[in-house]
Parts: sequence; C-alpha cells; structure tokens
Amino acid sequence: MAPSLCLYIYSGLNQQRDVRLRYNNILGLWRTVVSVHSGILEDRAVMVVLSEIWLLFALFEFSAAIYEDQVGKFDWRRQYVGKPRFAHFDTPTQNARKLMVTTENNVIASLNLRNGEIIWRQVDKQGPEGNVDLMLFHGQDALTVSGRGRLLRSWDMNIGGLNWEILLEPGSFQTGSLVGSAEGVKYIAILKKASISLHYLTNGHQKWSEALPESEKVQYQLLYSSGSGAVYLVGMVAGSHLVVIRYDIEDGKIIEQVTVSAPWIRRLWDLCGIVADGILTCIDRESHSLWILPLESEHEPEQILLQSLELELPEKFEGKILTTQSSPLVASSAQFCLQLSESHYALLQLHEGVVTLLRDFVQAVLVSFATTGDKVVTAVMTAKNKTAFGINLYSAENGRRLLDTAMNFNLDPNCGQPEQLYIHAFLKKDDSVGYRALVQTLDHALIFIQQPGRIVWTREEALAEVITMEMVDLPLTGTQAELEGEFGKKADGPMAMFMKRLSSQLILLQAWTSQLLKMFYDARKPRSHSKNEITIENLARDEFNLQKMMVMVTASGKLFGIDSSSGTILWKQYFENVKPGSSFKLAVQRTTAHFPHPPQCTLIIKDKETRLSSLHVFNPIFGKRSQINPPVLTRPILQSLLLPIMDQDYAKVLLLIDDEHKVTVFPSSRNILQQLQDSAPVIFFYLVDPVWGKLNGFRLHKDLRTEEIWEVVIPTETQKIVIVKGKRSNEHVHSQGRVMGDRSVLYKYLNPNLLAVVTESVDTHHERTFICVYLIDGVTGRIIHESVQRKARGPVYVVHSENWVVYQYWNTKSRRNEMTVLELYEGTEQYNSTAFSSLDRPFSPIIFQQSYIFPSAISLVEATITDKGITSRHLLIGLHSGGILSLPKAFLDPRRPEVPSEQSREENLIPYAPELPIRSEWYINYNQSVSRVRGIYTAPSGLESTCLVVVYGLDIFQTRVYPSKQFDVLKDDYDYVLISSVLFGLVFTTMITKRLAQVKLLNRAWR
Amino acid sequence: MALALEVLVVSRLLCFLLVLRLGAGSEAEGVGEKFKIEGRAVVPGVRPQDWIHTARVLVEGEEHVGFFKTDGTFTVNDVPSGSYVVEIVSPAYRFEPVRVDITSKGKIREKRVEEGISGMLSGEGGHKARHVNYLKASEVIRLPYPIQIKSTGPPPYFLKRETWGWTDFLMNPMVMMMILPLLIILLLPKVVNTNDPDMRREMEQSMNMLNPNHELPDVSEFMTRLFSSKSSKSGSGSKAGKSGVLKRR
Repeated sequence: MAPSLCLYIYSGLNQQRDVRLRYNNILGLWRTVVSVHSGILEDRAVMVVLSEIWLLFALFEFSAAIYEDQVGKFDWRRQYVGKPRFAHFDTPTQNARKLMVTTENNVIASLNLRNGEIIWRQVDKQGPEGNVDLMLFHGQDALTVSGRGRLLRSWDMNIGGLNWEILLEPGSFQTGSLVGSAEGVKYIAILKKASISLHYLTNGHQKWSEALPESEKVQYQLLYSSGSGAVYLVGMVAGSHLVVIRYDIEDGKIIEQVTVSAPWIRRLWDLCGIVADGILTCIDRESHSLWILPLESEHEPEQILLQSLELELPEKFEGKILTTQSSPLVASSAQFCLQLSESHYALLQLHEGVVTLLRDFVQAVLVSFATTGDKVVTAVMTAKNKTAFGINLYSAENGRRLLDTAMNFNLDPNCGQPEQLYIHAFLKKDDSVGYRALVQTLDHALIFIQQPGRIVWTREEALAEVITMEMVDLPLTGTQAELEGEFGKKADGPMAMFMKRLSSQLILLQAWTSQLLKMFYDARKPRSHSKNEITIENLARDEFNLQKMMVMVTASGKLFGIDSSSGTILWKQYFENVKPGSSFKLAVQRTTAHFPHPPQCTLIIKDKETRLSSLHVFNPIFGKRSQINPPVLTRPILQSLLLPIMDQDYAKVLLLIDDEHKVTVFPSSRNILQQLQDSAPVIFFYLVDPVWGKLNGFRLHKDLRTEEIWEVVIPTETQKIVIVKGKRSNEHVHSQGRVMGDRSVLYKYLNPNLLAVVTESVDTHHERTFICVYLIDGVTGRIIHESVQRKARGPVYVVHSENWVVYQYWNTKSRRNEMTVLELYEGTEQYNSTAFSSLDRPFSPIIFQQSYIFPSAISLVEATITDKGITSRHLLIGLHSGGILSLPKAFLDPRRPEVPSEQSREENLIPYAPELPIRSEWYINYNQSVSRVRGIYTAPSGLESTCLVVVYGLDIFQTRVYPSKQFDVLKDDYDYVLISSVLFGLVFTTMITKRLAQVKLLNRAWR
Repeated sequence: MALALEVLVVSRLLCFLLVLRLGAGSEAEGVGEKFKIEGRAVVPGVRPQDWIHTARVLVEGEEHVGFFKTDGTFTVNDVPSGSYVVEIVSPAYRFEPVRVDITSKGKIREKRVEEGISGMLSGEGGHKARHVNYLKASEVIRLPYPIQIKSTGPPPYFLKRETWGWTDFLMNPMVMMMILPLLIILLLPKVVNTNDPDMRREMEQSMNMLNPNHELPDVSEFMTRLFSSKSSKSGSGSKAGKSGVLKRR
C-alpha cells in the first residue's frame, strides 16, 4: 500500500509544478508580447498560452464575486432623488428630522435633515405614468396623486411603505386638496376634468363622486375648503365667466351654483387665489388690477387698480399671486403676495374688502410663505451679488421684519441661481420664530441652511441625470513628472544623461524615504486623523492608475469632476445657457500623458430646438475653462470624429461635420491641416438618418471637401433604425485567433470599421414584429452580415466588441428575454496578418450565432475592457432590480457544443444550455442596488487584470472588476504573516538543527 | 369592484407558497380591460416595516411597478391581460420570481367575473433553468387563499474567504491518506492481541478464506521452498547447531 501512496503524492506534486510553470510562462510571455508587436507565429504561441491561462482559470470557478470584507474598499455608491417638485418638512418644530420630497424623476423620498442623506426612497415607473402630480400632507402620512391622476396613494413617512393605494377614475387630473370639516381633516378632494370625488384619508375609499356641470366648456381648476362643511369649486371659461360651485361634504350635493360674468379672466392657476375667508382674488394683467369676488355672495366682482396701492408697475406686467392657507380647517390668510416682476414682490392684505399694501419687496429673488403655530411669516430672499444671498423673515400680519431672522450665505460660484425656496419655520422656546431654509437652485442642487447662514448640507441632484461621462488619468506627481521629463528632453550627451539619471534616482530615493517617514508618523497617530482627504491639490496618479478623474455631464448642464476612488466631487461647473433636453458629447482631446501640456476635454452641446451646437473646452482635472477659443459653429453638427492625428501640442483633432457635410477642424493649426491633407484619403465617416432610414458613408478630400461614397437605405415603411454601434476606439484585442481542439487556429475577423445596425419593425403586432441586425463596414458600406429575428421586439441592447456582437431582445412568442451572440471569424487562414483594410477583403467572414434565454429583464449591457485585452471579457448587465450582473463572455460563445466532445472539452467550451445562469455572487454591486441604470462606463486601469466600472442612473456606483481574477498582483488577502512566519521558522530550525548536528558530531568524535 | 376569485397556481417549487389573487379591476379608458395583481410577501422573522422601504414589485421588468403596504401586501394596478413575470426585488432578501397569466375572454365576461380569472403561477428562473413552457398541467395545484410569497433568505452576494486552519490542513485528502495508514500500522497491533491463540486461529481462518484455492500452491510458499531447498543444508545446520546448544544447556 505504501508505494502506491507515494506515487500519488508524486503525481500530485507534479501537477502543482506544472501549473506553476504555466503561470510563469504566462507572465514571461506576456512581457515579451507587450513590448514587441508580434507576428503570426508568436501570436499563435501566445494564444496557446492564453488558452492555458484559460485552463488555469477554468480550474477555479468563474468569478466576479467579492469577499465580504472588501465591501466599500474600492467601491462606492451615491444615491440621488432628482430635482424636487414638492418638498415638505415633517413637523413645524425645531427638532424636525425629515424632509419629504417628490421629484421630477418620479421618486418619493424622505431625507434626513441633519446630513441630507436618504432615509428611504421609492422609485416609481419612468415617464408620465409614474409622474407625481400632487403631494399633500396630513400628520405622518403623505398623500400623492400619480400617473396623470390615476393613483391616489397614502405613504407612511416613517416606514416608507404605503398605507393604502386606490385607483382613481379616469380623467385628466386638475388638482386636489385636503378637506376640513367640523370633525377635523378627514377627506381629500380630487378634481378631475369632468368629476370631483371625495376620499377618506384613513383608507382611501371614495365617499362620493360627482360629475361636474358643463365640464366640456368650463375649466375647473381651484378647490377650497375651510372647515365649514362645504367644498368650493371654481371654474372658468376664458374671457367669459366664472363658475363657483359649493358642494356639501356629506353627500356631494350641490348646495349652490353661481355664474359670474368675468370677461377679464384668462386662467385660474397662479393668477387667482383664495384669500381671507373665501374671497377669490384674481390678477388682471391687461388692466393692471385686482378683481375681488367673495365665493359665498352673489356680488359682482370688484375691481381694484394696482396704481391705487402706490405700486410701481413694470411696463410688461406679468403678475402672479401667491396665497397661503395654514390648514384646511381654517380660512386662508388675509395676506397674500403679488409678484409684479422677476425681482419685485408686494405683500398685500385684504381686510373687509379693502386691499392695503403691507410691504414692498424690491430686489427680492424669491418669496415664500411659512406657517408655525398660528403665525404666518413671509420669507424673502434677496441677492447681494451673484453668489451672496440673504433671507429675512417678515411677519405676514403687519409686514414688519422679524428680529434676528437675517440669514446670509454664499453659494458656490459654479452654481445656478436659486429657483425655489422652502422655509421650515418653528417656534423657539421664547416664542420667537426660528427657521431653516432649503434652497433649490437652477442646477438642481439642494442647499439646506441654518441660522445664521450656515450651510448644513448640499445635495447635487443634477447627478441623478448623468448623460455621459469620461474617465481621465490623473496627472503625475512632481517626482514622477521629473522622471518622465528625463526621456522627453533632448539629450545633451551621455555624461549629462548619466548625471540626470543619478539625480532623478536621488529624487526617487528622497521621495521614498519621506513616504516611509510619513507612513511611520501616520501609524503613530490615531486612525481618524491619519485619514487624509482627497482634494484637488493632492491629486496624483497611483501606482497602478486605479484612481482616475470621472468627468460627468448632467442633463441640467452641470459638469462634475469626481474622484473615482472615493466619490468626492472635486470640481463642478455650471453652464447657465444650456436648455433642458440638450444633448452632449464629451471628447478627450489630450490626456494627461503629455506633460507639461494640460489635459484637454471638449464638450459638444447641441441644443434641441435650434439644433445648433457649441463647443466648450476645459481641463478635466481642475474643471477650468481652457484659454483656447473653440470655433463658432453656425450650422447644426451631425457627426463628430476624434482622429488619432495630433498637433504639435499633442491635442487630438476633432472633426465636426455639419448638415451641409462641411468639415470644421478643431484645433485648426497649420500643422494639423497639413497632416489632415496627408491622411485625408484614409479618413472615412458615416452619417445616420433614422427618419429616412439612411446610412451614408463619406470620404474626406485633401481640400477638406467630403464626398459621399455609399448609401444603405433601410425601408422606413417596415423598419426603423434604433441603434448604430461601432467599436470602442481604445479597445485592444490581444489574440488574433482562437486555438481549437485540433491545434488549428481560427482567426478572428477584426474589422475596426464594423458597425452593428439594429432595426426594429414598425409593425408591433406580436406575430409580425421582428428585429434585424446588420453588420456594415463603415468604410465601404458593404453589408457583411444580416440576420432577422422574427417574433422579437425591442428594446434591443447591443454590445459590439472585438469580433463579436451580443444583443438582447424580447421574444414575443415565448414571452421571454433572449440574448444572441454573433461571432465573426476569418477562418483558419488569415488573409493579411499585418494590417486590416476594409477595401481589400475578398473573403466574407464565417459567422457563428447562438441564442440563449436570459431569465430577467435588463436595462443595459456593456462589456468590460482592459488595457491590453488579455484578460477574458465579461458582460456587465444592468437589471431592473438594481443589480449589476457580471456575466462571463464564455457563456455567450456561439461555439458552445450541444454534445461536448473531446476537442470542445480541450477548448474549455461550456456545453450548451438554453438558459444563462444568474448567480447572486455575480452581482458586482452586492446589495448596493442602482436604480434606473442609464449607462455603464468601463475603463481600463494600469493593471491588466482590472477594469474600472462606473454605473450611472438615478444613483452612481463605482467599482473595480477582475474578470480573470487578480493574476498580476498579490491578492489583498495574501497571507504575509504566514509566509514570513514559515520563512523565519525554517531559518530558525535550520540554525538550531545545525547547532544540534554539531553537538552530535562532537559527541561522536569524543566517543 | 374587484372580485376575489379562485386561484390556480402552478408551482415548480412546491416548498414555497405563493399567493396571488387576481381581481377584475375597473374598466380603463382606451384599449382593453385592466386588471390588478395582488399578493403578499413575507420575510420570515422580519417585520414588514423593516424591509418594505427598499422593496418593490416589478411586473415584466419595469413595465408595471407596485409598492408594498405596511402590512407586506402589494397591488399592481392597471395591468392588461397577458402573461407576466412578477418579481419582488429587494437588495436584502431574495424572492423567487413567478409567472402570472391573466386570461380574459371578452365574450363571456359575466361568466368570467363569476368564475374569476385563473392565475397561473409558476416558478421561473433559478439555477435549474426550467422554463414555464415545460411545465405540465398535472402540476397545477389549487392553493388556499390567502397564500404568500416567502423570501428564501438573504442572497449570498459574497464569496467566502479561504482561511488557513489546522483542520483544513488535516482534512486535506493527501494528509489524510498519509496519516490514516500510519495510524493503522501503529495502532492495529496494539488493539488486536496477536498473542491470543483464539485470535490467531481466527486470523488464520480468515486468511484461508482469502485463499480460496487450497490445492494451488501459494507462490510465496513455493518461492521460499525453492530458495530454502538450496540453502537448506546451511540453514538446517545452523538450526541444528542452535538446537544442539539448547539441548546441551
């Protein structure tokens, strides 16, 4: 028995050694390949080795998972809610803790007032169906009407769940309000275009619902109740008359219906309001007057000219009215605010039919009412200059300024102007009024300010709508730059070079010792102090280039520079003139690699309406606007290309093609134009016209004219182009082919000009709907492959990389999501192994295709990318659940055999299974779910094994993924202690045994 | 307005219970009739208010969204008839997705309302990758009302660190294979008393049993005989000498 055991151990050792050898091989070969771009033979060797890497990794499980102790080590998440539409502080006392907001992004959330963090958040459906139309508050419940008046919900503000939810009857939603009666606030009234209904606050059940009289003519827009047992409804016919209806709360009977002639009426909202005890007050913009009409009596409306109030009116009077009602149980306050112009407000009082001016606010930015106890205050925000603002409180009763209520604060200069002011007023112990203010600015920032002007927290809600982003390498530190500069400068001679070398080595040594010293000192300090904050000053590239600058462009027109390792916002820049709905494109013209030239990014902003574009050049590290003046674009830009041609300052050339197919070059120095002329024959570009279903290819002439060379027309009667996707320009493909089981090589079809065009059928009937995928060469316009997926419907998500295209669609027949992979191969022989030219490809590629069931709906797909393309690829799939799944590309391999053979096993092909697996270990964001994923950005790092991933949507999540595990660095759980203790132990035992042996020898000699 | 009806549930995972009550909702404007999907989810040992604020109900991706009430029930409104995958998503707890078929026959509407809409629920997804299509009608089970979707616990997001311990080392098959024979060699002679004649006889017997063919000469015996015959003289001589010495004593 013993000998066989020995053998077994031996073979085991052998195996281990084998693996290790392979490992060394990989690292060794990898180096040689990196330095020299190899020919076929070497490539083949590399491929063999690569497949061995694969073998090595196949020994382990597919891994994208992290360990529990790595949580938060290299990943972070920031959660946002979006631009608020309604905001409410939970209690009118000083110790209020929560702020309820509903936002334009259909989010209902509760924020912590102390630090601005989200306590809970519920994300509704996107689009108008999830839109929150109204939010009202009653005690600890928030009532929302959403989906164009479809759903009435009551939220428990403490828990974040629903108390109840009911479906409202169809009809376009107008307004809603709480209704007070003698027993307190018990109902909510919902006003629709043609009906009014009353619901219980306790369970949402409908008390009554009544059709509105003459609803097709009269627009009902105002609801009012003051605890008197009746609900007033005001409607109007523009330019004709007003209708006031009084409903009985108990049974919904019309008590009284009055029609008042009002030829001056235009609309009700923001021009009319209920003031004092049920008196309708309206602004007549044309005659510069106020109309006053008590709801209960049948008087004719009374006109009060604004001139009589000693108010200076601007030439173009655009008045608005602002009223307040502290509770539905009491009457509206007799004071109201009149906005005369952009910055001119007046506080007025209506008392016994007489309007008096209480206070005139000239130079006010925003005015808002707040109630605490029985006191009503008016908060007025004034601007001292562009960034300095002040808020003062005025008693609404008499218009006097309240003492000790001034608040002065400065806003960030890179911030928009205030747009909305929410005041949280409370009574202090001495019965005076204290307050806190929430300021919402045009760039969707929320700033919470405490007296006397201390900014407690700021939320950058613009980041809830990131449109595009780029990652830029951080600059080198001074010493690193010194080393780099050594090679860039002109050599003076060998001796000088040598001296230079020595001095730089000295500098390095110095830096290293100082770093060691710093580490030593830091170790002695308590933990909390040693944590050094990342600021814009100490930004420097780390050893493996894992820390980068994320430049994020948001829909509001605000740019952010975010440190990728910590998520700290390092700079922000707001463009005031960006209109909503503009589209953006970001191009990195110069990276940080060209010291001392600063890095340079160009943002192309395209206005939705005028379709005109503007260029904005800035430094992505500091966010500063560059000195370079970009060209002024007078025509709409259709396409932009970043060419690999560099000017003398190492800035890449941006070609902009306008709607007359004319080319604008930026930067347009002479050097550039010369280079462009030289390389013009090899510059091709394409334009896509989804309206006419056309794809056009163009070429550039030496004199920068363009010429159309091909056109592909997709019939718009049946199909529409939805996606056109090329390959990423920074993608490296390491191996030219795949080694098959029989040792032959299947060469990949690596066409860098390949476009994947996806069309969807216009007919969306589930029997006839289809999607079509065309692979078109962008230079020649040749359709290389075309595949139709019948009974399939979008949305289609496409990843196009290397020699493969993966797309996902909805199968209407089987009602499931499916993924299809297309892989292109040249065959076992390469046509031209040195260069790829689209113009010289006589053979069409071999195409493999396979489809799989994906067991979940997805919101986005992207592929990982690494520096040299050696590491295996993973697909990052954003799911609606908020998880980001990292699926190995090996599962999407069209050569997966149905029946595994010896050869396929050698190739490590996984046998075909129709359904792709989802394992919870593959979620790269574990429980840090990301809502409404809009984009996944992947960037290579300095380590081949590591890919940086940023997922953005409503939230932002950043992490690193290791698709083939960390093969090029020691793992973070590497057991230094064990290794060193074993080493020391061995040394120690050697010493002891040596000594013992000596003693033994000596003893023997004496015997 | 909604009528509670009978529920047909097809469940691949018999161990977990699933409830869906389908009601005919009010008629919506525009195309077709809209229904609602109602249900209840339970996380064992956790109160609903502690987990519902992070959870949502998604029907077919994000096509329809529902929120939880504070008691753990949910309603998804305005769902047209069809077949849907209903998922409860929560970062902290895992729920099996279910497929719900809302069938509607416009012509026999009253009858449908009387009889109710049958909700076909079936497990989908999961690692065994069986699809709804493969299910057989015989697997349809009627579930009593109310029924519940039960969480299968927190999802295992993390890998376990390989820790180095003595037990790992000892449990290594190689080490075990080395140590076990060692133990047998060392311990067996001590456990079994070889000097006991009964035991010896027993062992011999068992050895004989192992040697089924008694007629065949044993190879080792044969070899020893072969070699011993050659050196028998010297061997016997020495033996005789020794015995002689003994005798002499």
